Amino acid sequence: MSFPAKVGAGDPLLDVRTYAAELDAWLIGRPVCLRAVAAPISAYAARVKAMVELMAALHDGAWSRYGWPPEVGGLGGSILHRAAMWEALARHGVPGMALFEHLEVLAPTLVAHGPRPFVAEALPEFLAGRQLWAQGFSEPGAGSDLASLRTTARRTDDGWVVNGRKIWTSWARYATWCLLLARTGTPQSRHRGLTAFVVDLRAPGVEIRPIEQANGTDELAEVAFDDVHITADRIVGEVGGGWQVAMHILSHERGTFAWFRHCFLYQHLVDCLPQAAADDDAALGNALLDLAAVTATSHVGLRAHASDAPLGPLAAHPKLLLCAAEQAVYDWVLATQPDIAVDTSSDEYAVRRQEYLFSRIVTVYGGSQQMQLDTIAKQVLRLP
Amino acid sequence: MTVTPLDIAADEYLTVAARAMRTSGGVGALDSLGWWDLLAHLGETDLRTAVFAVFRAQGRELVSSPALGGLLAQPYLEAAGLEPGTVVATVPRASARGRSVLVAVGDVTDRMLLVDRPGQGATVAEPAAVVLRPVHLPGRLALHEIDVDLSRAAVTIDEPRAGVARDRSAFLGRVALALEIVGAAEGALALAVDHATHREQFGQPIGRFQAVRHLLAWARTDCVAIEAVARHAVALDSAAPPRYGEVVKALAGRNGRRACERALQVLGGIGFTAEHDHHHHHARVLALDALLGTSAALIPPLGAWLRATNADPGFASTVLLGDPSW
Repeated sequence: MSFPAKVGAGDPLLDVRTYAAELDAWLIGRPVCLRAVAAPISAYAARVKAMVELMAALHDGAWSRYGWPPEVGGLGGSILHRAAMWEALARHGVPGMALFEHLEVLAPTLVAHGPRPFVAEALPEFLAGRQLWAQGFSEPGAGSDLASLRTTARRTDDGWVVNGRKIWTSWARYATWCLLLARTGTPQSRHRGLTAFVVDLRAPGVEIRPIEQANGTDELAEVAFDDVHITADRIVGEVGGGWQVAMHILSHERGTFAWFRHCFLYQHLVDCLPQAAADDDAALGNALLDLAAVTATSHVGLRAHASDAPLGPLAAHPKLLLCAAEQAVYDWVLATQPDIAVDTSSDEYAVRRQEYLFSRIVTVYGGSQQMQLDTIAKQVLRLP
Repeated sequence: MTVTPLDIAADEYLTVAARAMRTSGGVGALDSLGWWDLLAHLGETDLRTAVFAVFRAQGRELVSSPALGGLLAQPYLEAAGLEPGTVVATVPRASARGRSVLVAVGDVTDRMLLVDRPGQGATVAEPAAVVLRPVHLPGRLALHEIDVDLSRAAVTIDEPRAGVARDRSAFLGRVALALEIVGAAEGALALAVDHATHREQFGQPIGRFQAVRHLLAWARTDCVAIEAVARHAVALDSAAPPRYGEVVKALAGRNGRRACERALQVLGGIGFTAEHDHHHHHARVLALDALLGTSAALIPPLGAWLRATNADPGFASTVLLGDPSW
């Protein structure tokens, strides 16, 4: 595969229409990397391996470098390129972003607020699947009340020393880097005393304990930090500015991420159509409406991000609508394929069971549904 | 409320249209906005946006006009080479009594009325051939059931040309109805938010209670979803995915009713009185849901269509993401 990458304003692929059409043509040729990942794989480690190989090929072929600025190893363009890439991958059978979800949750914030020389090296490694990322926000004692987190970063002569515990840290066991939110202010400083760091998960003092999930996948982990040293150049944003960094990330996790996730839901729905029965047409129609609502609201989010407008509290709407759509799609899948609840004979059913169960917990990650509703009540409706 | 940059153009038209509705009423507003003249320019994105803004405005302001019929008639007039804005289309409403009832929205006295009879072409009826029977509903919606004698009327637009206009007309009408539904539902939500801010129980405004806050946040999310899909329909027009008009209308009916129900729950008993305006918003949403297919009637066929065609119902990236005009 040798795709000619042309950096600069004259590159026709900077036009999203051209990019989407060319990528589609390449995927129609069924490159080897696509064939492996598109088959149903219930064993998570095997799925991770296939996904990493796909990402390596997309990076070699330059496809995944569009949508990122040249200063960090990209080829230019905007989030619309990335949105088009994942939409095309979903349509051609890639079942989900898996451990590359952080490309659309963490990476935009790293590019906007991360230490530039480091991000310029780390982003290409991430895109190529060589060095992955985890997000260290939640703690055993700090979930929805994120500002109460207790992991500390203490200043030393040449950097910082971190102590504490993080939980629900997605893909920590596969990741090289963790974007960590830690307390640099007083214990009472709440959201004002937080700072965001990049921590090397290979460093001495880091211990990762995978959490086996109820749906059989193991993307989550608990991570302990025991006197872990961080150099001074690994701060994202400013010292004491961790809350702003976290909000930037969460606005992506809620607003634009809905686009990326919903592309796969569309495809899951289409994949299940051959098993559908007329009795469930109303449920199917309702799922279609819910997906259409996600397309439209998350597209507004993508456009806002592409023009550098902050997403703010409005990001809660696509997040709520995504959860509703994911549950509506899988309500219909379960109704139309009751076997997925009990049949263990095929990978296809196993993967659908995993996805069905996951759709029951989507109202928790990225801020629980109740927190999204609180955000809208307070910041959009301005209730007392 | 916070707005994103994308909201601005549409919101400007909405503000202007709502102001015109408040000062001049529905019919007067259409004249003062030059709305009828805009109908000939539905192919231009900006002017199309202005045409549709009127519907959300009249939903919000609970004003009535013949705009829906004017918009529905436009593709027929175009197909027949007739002048825009001269005729108002009637709307068939499905009825469990086993017949299709013809209705007209807004004051259509002395207007030429278009009646489409699939298979037989479309006919334009003179005012003298029409009997208008007012339908008395809350919602400040001027609605008439129509008796028209077409036995001796000549077919004005023959079936091949009417057939071309039919789908286009239904798409435009459904998107317009969705916008009017969201306007009316937003009005209901605004009343409920105001109530939750001022009504005190247990020594504090009820809007401080999470149960109440969450009802209102869901209602707002229901409205945001309608508004977003309708805006996409207006922006993309004929580039929208197949059956998108039905998706938009079905979603508007479903979410619009749900938003009104949530608002009513927050209002409590006062919202269920003739004195309070909530019932006007709620009744308008119900009445509009009944036109051009209720959500209950549209949703199962959408599912059946997906099942029968194995269609990918989403937007192509090249259309949605590649459009530089957003």
